[in-house]
Parts: sequence; C-alpha cells; structure tokens
Amino acid sequence: MAAGAVMTRPFPFLLLPWVWSSRNRLRRREPGDLLRASLVGGIGIGVCAALFAGSFWVTRQLLAYAEFGDYLLRLGLSWLFLTFLAFLAFSGVVTAFSTFFLADDLRLLLTAPIASGRLFLARFTRTVGQASWMVVMFLTPVLLGVGAARCAPVAFYAAGVLIVAPFAMIPVAAGTGATLLLVNVLPARRARDLLALVGIGFAAALVLILRFIQPERLLRVESLPDIADFFATLQSPLTPLLPSFWAGELLFAELQGGHDLLHGAALWTTALACTVVLSAEDRRWHRAGYSRSQEAPKARVTPLGVIDRVAHALPVSTVRRQLLIKDAKVFLRDVSQWLQLLPLFALVLLYLYNFRTLDLERIPYMSGFLKNVYAFVNLAMAGFVLATVAVRFVFPAVSTEGAAFWVIRSSPISLGDFLWSKFWIGLIPVLLFTEGLTVAANELMGVDPFLKIVAAVAVVFMTGALVGLAVGLGACYPRFGADPTQAAGSYGGVTFMILAVLYVIATIVLLGWPSSLWLFSRIRRIQLSAMREFLMAASFTLAMALSVVTCLVAMRAGVRALERMAER
Amino acid sequence: MIAVEHVVKRYGAFAAVDDVDLEVQPGEIHGFLGPNGAGKTTTLRMIAGLLQPTAGRVVVNGHDMALEPEAAKGSLGFVPDRPFIYEKLTAGEFLRFHGGLYGIDGADIAPRVHEMLDLFELRRWEHELVESFSHGMKQRLVMSAAFLHRPRAVVVDEPMVGLDPRGARLIKAVFRRMSEGGVAILMSTHTLEVAEEMSHRISIINKGRIVVQGTVEDVRRLTGAGDEHFTSIFLRLTGGSGLQEIDEIV
Repeated sequence: MAAGAVMTRPFPFLLLPWVWSSRNRLRRREPGDLLRASLVGGIGIGVCAALFAGSFWVTRQLLAYAEFGDYLLRLGLSWLFLTFLAFLAFSGVVTAFSTFFLADDLRLLLTAPIASGRLFLARFTRTVGQASWMVVMFLTPVLLGVGAARCAPVAFYAAGVLIVAPFAMIPVAAGTGATLLLVNVLPARRARDLLALVGIGFAAALVLILRFIQPERLLRVESLPDIADFFATLQSPLTPLLPSFWAGELLFAELQGGHDLLHGAALWTTALACTVVLSAEDRRWHRAGYSRSQEAPKARVTPLGVIDRVAHALPVSTVRRQLLIKDAKVFLRDVSQWLQLLPLFALVLLYLYNFRTLDLERIPYMSGFLKNVYAFVNLAMAGFVLATVAVRFVFPAVSTEGAAFWVIRSSPISLGDFLWSKFWIGLIPVLLFTEGLTVAANELMGVDPFLKIVAAVAVVFMTGALVGLAVGLGACYPRFGADPTQAAGSYGGVTFMILAVLYVIATIVLLGWPSSLWLFSRIRRIQLSAMREFLMAASFTLAMALSVVTCLVAMRAGVRALERMAER
Repeated sequence: MIAVEHVVKRYGAFAAVDDVDLEVQPGEIHGFLGPNGAGKTTTLRMIAGLLQPTAGRVVVNGHDMALEPEAAKGSLGFVPDRPFIYEKLTAGEFLRFHGGLYGIDGADIAPRVHEMLDLFELRRWEHELVESFSHGMKQRLVMSAAFLHRPRAVVVDEPMVGLDPRGARLIKAVFRRMSEGGVAILMSTHTLEVAEEMSHRISIINKGRIVVQGTVEDVRRLTGAGDEHFTSIFLRLTGGSGLQEIDEIV
C-alpha cells in the first residue's frame, strides 16, 4: 500500500456499512420471525389501506363540488406538503445532530483519508434517508388514493416519485444547515441549549401556525362570509415561495392531465442548490463543530435531591425506590430524553386550545349531540396522544438501561419485579398527563356528566393497557446499543404503535356504542330495555377486560423475553 | 464458595464452554486464564447469572444459580470486563442504587458508600457524574459496587485492564484483604504475572475446556516446565507462540 493513500471510491461506498448492517438485520433468522413479519406486515398494509381509502373517499367527495372541489384539493395537497415540510425540517435538525456530530462511526471516518466532500455527501444522504422515510411511507398511500379517485394518468405517479427526493432534500438541508451553524455558535458542551432551542422553536412554530390559520372560524354560522377570508389566509403570499406549494402544484397539474415543468424544475434546482450551499457550509463549519462536540467531558451536575426525598416518602420496597430514583435522575439529566417533552407540551396546548375555541353553542341545531360525540373524539385523540407519549417515553424504558443492564441482571432482583417497577414508574406520570388532558378538554366542551365519568374511567384503563403494552414490547424488542430517542422508529416501536392504534379503536368502539345508546335514550326520553342495559354493561366490561388482558399479556411477554436473554 | 459443575454452554453446534468444572474455596483467589475466545467470559457470565448454561450447574455459597437465582446473586459480587454504568448518575448515587438492589437502604447505606469510595480512592468524585470518569475510575467504581454488599464470593473479569500502576496496586491489595477475610475470588486475567503473583490456584481454559488446574507449582510440575517462564508454559498449553508467522508477515 502506497504512503499517503486516500479513498478513491465514490461517496455511496461510505453508506455500505449502513446498508450491510440493515441487510444483516433482515437476514438474521430467529424463531417467530415469519409470524411477526406477517403480523406487522399485515397490520402495516391495513394502515396503508386505511390511508389510501381515506384520501380516496375525500377526493371523491370533492369531485361533487366541481371547481370549488378542485380548489380544495389543490389547497389540501399544498397543506399536506407544508405539514411534511415542517416535519422534515425539524427531523433534519435532530437527525443531523446525530449523523454529523454524535454518530460513533465518525471517529473512524474522520481519521480516515476521505475527501471532506465525499464524507459530506454520504452523511447528508444518510440524514435525508433517516429523516424522511416516515414521510414517504405516509405520503405514498395518500397520493395513490388521490390518484385513483381522480383516475390520474401515469404521469401523476411518475411525478410523485420524482418529487419525493428533492422535496425531502430541501427541508432536511435547511435543518442540517441550522444544526451545523448552531453547533458552532453555541458551545458544544451546551448541547442541551441547542436542542432546547430547536424544541422550543418547533413548539412556537406550531402555535404560530395555529394562530395564523384560526380554523375555529369555520364553525361559526354567522361568520360564513368570512370563510373566503379563511381560505385567503391559507393562501398567504409566502406560500408560493415554499417547496410544499411547488410539489402540490406539480401534482395537481399532473392530476388534471397537464404538466408543470416550472415547479418541477424549481424543486430540483433548489434541492441541488441547497446541497451545494450545505456542502460549502460543511467545509467551513463541520470540522470546528465536530471538535467542539467532543469537548464536554465534565458536565454540570444537578443534584435533584427532591427526587430522593419524594421516593423515600413513598411506601415502596427498597429496590423499587432505588429503581425509581435512578430512572428519574437518568431521565431528567439526559437532555435528549426530556427535551422531547417541549413539542409535546406545545401539542397539548394546541389540543386544549382547539376544544376551548370550538364554540359549538353557535351551531344550535347540533350542539347538544355534537359536543357529546366530541367527548369520544376527545377520548380517541387522548388515546393516540397517550400512544405517542408511551412510544416515546415508556417503550424505551428497558433500552435506556443500555450497556449497564448487567447491573440489574447480576443483582438479586427478579426480572418480573424489574419490569413491573418500570410499569409503575411509567404509569403514574402518563396517567396524570392523559387524565388531566381528557378531563380538561371535556370540561371545556361542557360534555354530559355521565360521559365525563366514562371518559375519566376509560383513560385509567387505557393508560394501564398502553403503558403495559409499551413496557412489555420494549422488553421484547430492546435496543441497548442504540439511542433511546430513536426507539420509536424501530421495529418494536412501529409494532407498538400499530397495536396501540388498534387497541384504541377497539376500546372506543366498545365504549362508544353503549354510550351512544344511553345518550339517544336521554335525548329522546326513551326507557332502555333490560336487554339493552345488559348489553351496555357487557360492552363496558369487555372494554375493561381488553385493557387488562392487553397489559398482562404484554408484560408477561416482556418478562419472558428478558429471561430468555440469559439463554443467548 | 463458588462451584461450577460440568458446565456446558453451546451456541448451536459450537461449544463455547465444554464440561468445565472448578471450585473456589472461601478465602481463595483463583486465577482463570486462557487465550481470547477460550470461554473465560462466558463461564464468568454463567456464574454471575447473566447466561444460562446448556448443561451443568453453578452453585454460589450453597445456592444453585438456576434454582435460587436471587439468593445466589445476593451473596455474589460481579465485576464485568467492561465497566458500563449509568452515565447520568453520580458515583455516590450509583452506589446507593446498587446498595438498594441488594436490599441495603436507610441509615446503613451512607457510611458503607463512603467506606467503599474511600477504599477505592473515589471519595472526592462522589458527586460527579460517571460520564466524566476515566476508564480506570469507572473500573474502580464497579469494584466498589461489587464489594458494597459484603459478598462472600466475587467474580472479576479482567480487573487490571485500563488501570494505572497505582490503581492496579490498590486492586491487588483490596483482593488480598478480601480473601484474608474469607471471600472467594474468581479472577479472569490476561496478565500472567498478576495471576502468578496473586492466585492461590489457577485454571487454564482453552477452546472451552479446562486444560490444567492447580497451584502455579502444580502447573509447572504437571507440564514438566521446571523454572521456565510462566508465559511460555501458558503458550505451550494454549497452542504455540505464533512468532514465526509474525516474522513472515512483517
């Protein structure tokens, strides 16, 4: 080998370890793989089919409104892409922090004789892939649904494929650029400030978007003339300058049988320009930023003595108390863990804000019934929020033990005790959060007292089931070596989300049917028959049983999975 | 006391540990030697309850690890080969947590934590996060945890890796004092001088099987090595020096 040898292979060579690792993961055969793949694949196909059917139905409905329908579809596409644009930009910031500064393989790559341009292209490609795969998975069935409903020509689908790459590259490049600058502007040892800034910025952006749109105006009958203004607001002067608008316009043109080369060209040229600018930024800032990101050996310690005092006041065993103290302190001291609470709080604010501003009394012919139906919409929403919180904060509970899990496994506590301790530690805060959310929303809506009680009790069972499911599946699919914040996107995380959504739907159906019977009987002042009352009680009982079984089966599977680790 | 009886660990057709038998008496330091991949760490992980043997049994202080895992683990201290611990806890918090896992709480824990931190020269780092520790400091902290609950038997995997000479001398002194106090210590190491200097008895494992067992003098006698350097005996027992290949490659 000659002295001064450098890497001459093109940049995709640097992606091979990632590709090979993924391939090896897929190749690794374990008992039950086929069953799991069939189950998850089947449910995944079901979710995609639902998205397809939803977008197909909406698009078909809009056909009935002729030109106004076209206008709404065009606007809808633009807003769909705008939502993804915001998601991709935020995802780009977070992913770039990991791929450009914190990834373990950077030590190897940065000490190897690789031209910085090649390394940048490889890292950027990986960032785009990691940040956008979820958007692509979501977007595909939606666009297929739209295309099928409008009998779109082949060019529509071809355009959909062609715009995905540049549409993802632009916001991810913006996010990556922001990360490159922020790591250099702020001392890297204050990574927490950097991420906090991103989180707060994202939350603020959400609030601003909501204030900007004011969707509640649609529900005021007397303000119907303002609807024109409402749509005008959606079409702000800024919108045509955004890639989301270009993507929407291009697809809409193809849908109508025409072509929109201008917006297609705008997407591709902007994506390539962003890559060039980002590459220059990388040459200028990456080395210094990476160097700074290594300079944080001594972190500030927050004693968090209040956790010790609270834990000692609780009537629990020594082991559970120490597990609680450890988990709480590790969580609160790990910025990447708690920081994701910030966007969550923003979402909660929006959630409650929506219910406060939905002034249903102004739609007199439906307010009484509608707001009680909304109690179940609220419960379903709370279930989905709960699933999201659980996948992010509870599912990684076992994985966060990381390489230190030997401490637990070599100590004299049973793995069942350990896992149930994780369950209780996850349950209490999540229950307080979801119960608070549901009660507050129902209070703001002025829901019927009976439904308030049903919802409040249902949340207790739903929280138990979903926390148990998250802890159990988190133990079945632990990722000790990986970043726990990424667990939601893992095989186990996706499986949890699919099962959680199915559970929430089943529970809402089991609770909604008897509640609607009761509601109708009250509105129409009809006495319920004994058989009906029995069926109602059976439905409520079934919902409770489903929750208990979900929790217990998942927890038992989790304990077994942990015990089986000793066999490997 | 640690007793390993005809223990086997198979991964498919491959036997990582094949019919291993060894016993560490109270007060004994037992050196566990072998080349890389010989089965040392697998054996130690089975003793610590991290892995289940395919066959055979492990008994710690009279408790069968398969039948009474909690009692067996409760009387054992374990120091793994790599000191992974919770990075976001301070040294003091980690020891209090570890004590809690072994049922030590309340008024007993604070003085014991200070004792161990003093013993392993970590007291001034008590309130610092583990993430800022060097490898050697983490190693000493893990050892503090292993001895915190006054175990009657200790399993240590590569204790000297990453320790500076002062740290290594400290660990040797602690092990000697513990063995004088009746603690059974099973210590895996690649540092043959350490094994020779500290062990009452040694076992050498190769390709999953114990190839020789006894005191250092027994091993010399059994292999007919006389005054030969211990490294040469080890290489002879575990499969040659490989030096001729090195010459060819270089």
